[in-house]
Parts: sequence; C-alpha cells; structure tokens
Amino acid sequence: MNHQPRIVVFQCQFCLYAETDQHWMDHELPANFKLVKVPCSGRISPLFVLNAFQGGADGVLISGCVPEMCHYKEGNLGARRQLDEFSRLLKYIGLEEQRIRFAWIDVNQRGRIQQELASFEKDLADLPRNERLATRTPVEQGALQ
Amino acid sequence: MNNVLTAIQNEARRILQEGIVDVVVGFEAGTLQLKAQPFFMHKADDVDKLVWNGFCQNNLATYLTRLDKQQRIGIICRGCDSRAVRTLVMEHQYDREKLYLIGVPCTGIVDWRAVQRQTGEDILSAEEIGDEIVIATPQKKWKFSRAEMLHDSCKRCAHPNPVGVDITIGELLPEGDPQQAFTRTREFELKSAEDRYAYFQVEAERCIRCYACREACPMCYCSECFVDYTTPRWAESMITPSGTQAWHIIRAFHQAGRCVSCGACERACPMDIKMTYLTDKLNRDMLDLYGFDVGENDDKQPPFAAFSLDDRDRFVK
Repeated sequence: MNHQPRIVVFQCQFCLYAETDQHWMDHELPANFKLVKVPCSGRISPLFVLNAFQGGADGVLISGCVPEMCHYKEGNLGARRQLDEFSRLLKYIGLEEQRIRFAWIDVNQRGRIQQELASFEKDLADLPRNERLATRTPVEQGALQ
Repeated sequence: MNNVLTAIQNEARRILQEGIVDVVVGFEAGTLQLKAQPFFMHKADDVDKLVWNGFCQNNLATYLTRLDKQQRIGIICRGCDSRAVRTLVMEHQYDREKLYLIGVPCTGIVDWRAVQRQTGEDILSAEEIGDEIVIATPQKKWKFSRAEMLHDSCKRCAHPNPVGVDITIGELLPEGDPQQAFTRTREFELKSAEDRYAYFQVEAERCIRCYACREACPMCYCSECFVDYTTPRWAESMITPSGTQAWHIIRAFHQAGRCVSCGACERACPMDIKMTYLTDKLNRDMLDLYGFDVGENDDKQPPFAAFSLDDRDRFVK
C-alpha cells in the first residue's frame, strides 16, 4: 500500500440493519474514513460529493439500500439516477472513475460494508493521491470550515 | 428576411391589437452593433421598432420566469427558445394558455465575439445581406460568410425549427442530426484525463463570477441559487479556485436533461469561457440512457423527475 487514502463514506442510516455492522461503522471505523450518515441515499446531494473531493478526499463511497428496499420507498431510485450521472460528469472533466463507488447494500448482507470499504481502500491506494478538484485550502491553513 | 420581419411585425401587431397578449417579447436594435437587445412591446405602435436578424443573441424564454406571472406573453421563438418555453411549461413555470408563441425557423445566431476578433476594431455598422455579413469599421469594410461566423452552438444545432408554437412564420428548415450536436463532446472524451482536467481548470478558473450565464439562461430561475446560499454553506461557493470549479460543475449539472443548447450562456460570458461542453455531455447522456431529447415532446417526463427500477443493472455491483 503506497499511502493511506482518505475516504468519505455517505451511508444511508437504514441499510446496515445488522447491529454489529452499524456499531463498527459508528465506533471502530479507521481514522482515514469519514462517516456521514444521511437519512436516505436520496438526501445525498451532488454538492456533498463534490465538497468531499474539494476538501481533499481520495474517494467517496455512497452506500444505499437495494431497489425496492428503501425505507422511504423510492429515495434510492432517484438518488441513483442523479449520482450516477454526476459521477459521469466528474469523469468527463477528468476525475478518475474509480474514485466514486456505489454500494447498494441489502439489509441481510452482514459484513458486506467492511468488505466494500476494504476493497475500495485497496483500489484507491493503487492510485496516486487525488489532486484534481482538491483545490480548497485546508482548514489548518486558515480556510473557513 | 425582410418578408419574415414584416410578417412577424404584422402578427405581433395583430395579437397586441386584438388583446390576445399584454406584452410581446422580441428584439430591437441595441446600442451596440452585433447585439440586438430584448424588447418588450406593450402597444401596437412599438412593433415598428422590432428587428429580426442573426444578431439577436439572447434566448427570449428567459423572460418567462422573470416577467410578471399574471401577464399574457407573446414570445418570438426560434427553435431553441421554443424548446426552452416548452421545458419551462413542463416545469410549471408558466401556464401555456397564457402564452402566444410566434415561431420563426432560425438560420443561426452570429457570434459577435468571432466577428470582433476578426475585425479587431470598433464596429460602426453591421448588416446581414443574404448569406453574408457586411461590417464597417473606421478603417475598412469587411465581408464575412454568415455560415462561418455562426456561434458554435448554432453550427451544430439539431433543431432549428420551433416546436409547439401557435403560428410559424417563414419556411421550415431541414432538421439537423441530434448526434452531430455531440461530436465535440466525443472528441473531448478521447483526450486523456489530465488534458480534460487541465482544460476544465483553465476554463473554470478564469471565471469572474459575474453570473451573466445564469441571468442569460432560461433554465436558471431558482429564487436562490446554490452559490448565494450561505447558511448553512453546503459546499464551497466562494470566489476561490474550488468555489469557481464548483460553480461550473453544479451549474452544468443542474441543467442535466433541461439545457436546450442555445449557447446563450457562452454568448453572455464576458470572459469567453466555454461551458456548453459540459451541458452537451449531460444532454448526450440523457439521450443515450433515457432517450430524452430536451423539449422534444410534451408528455415525456424529464429524466431526473422520474426513476425506474430498470435502472438497476447499471448500478448494483
């Protein structure tokens, strides 16, 4: 592993039904992951994803429920269309495709989130650090938070 | 062209006199050559000042969301204006019953910047004569071929004919190939990621954030734009490199499945920043993935207003 990638995880609060998984996400997540819990993947605005990259993230993982299993019936369906198109746009302007990953997790897939995060981290470690779009001044250097 | 102008004037005069509309939006000669300015005709007498030529730069559908909603409006529509009106009507921004659309097939808009670049001098007068543009500057008289001086968006325009209008004036033109509109985005995609990002960076970071593109765009009508929204600040939107990049990315993304490719944003931009390569890409995706061509028909839902379980194959890993 060349470096430790910084990863922002947007997680739908309903897709990790297994208590152990959620506990692991909440309390035992390694320090290079930032967890952002949202009520539904439909809440994830493209702005959030962009903001994560600008703040210096190497990758963004978006986790949501599988189709027909959304707590709010269809929030994930709308989110998929938008976020997929947004990732296409970012790829078009030169961001590597691998830096955005979607994981649609079913409630019974216990332990899947750990696997996803591990494989995502491994993929990102093979890429260089993200410099594209990471144009914001770091907070340590006096940027507004 | 003069016959067309007379016909437009007659029609505008008629609808004002008969009280079908309260105001007709068209163009009048501006203070600058090469740029006709939008013109609001409230009385039948105003109609004499109306002009119609290739120097009409703005998209008139913009005024649909900026004028008083109670008014009945007549709009002189080219292909792009009419599709923008249709999209706005679909988004419930105006009641179609209150609109009277005068459609005119469009032969393209002259890129004022291209002319200015060629002449490099103050322009004293500009005229369209047949297929030529005749420009007079203090030093010299210039003649340009009209087809060469068209704006980029007009060169690759796929839909010059107005759609869903109440009356069409002039002869319909042959429709272009929708795929031809996307040649440039295909070429752009062939470049390496470094080159693409470098191009984007140069284009985005020259931006002075005057928001002329937002004002010129018929689809930008939010009462509060995301860049003006500061409490809470969801994303960087200040006048910094990252804020400017965010503006360009999100402005384009908000046009996905809505942009009519009129190019009004590029013509309005004082910094000559290219932006349509972003919206064209999004439009191409909308056409390829969901078969949605903006303003093509009245009954198809915009792709981002809808969702379908059939999308699933493309996402689930």
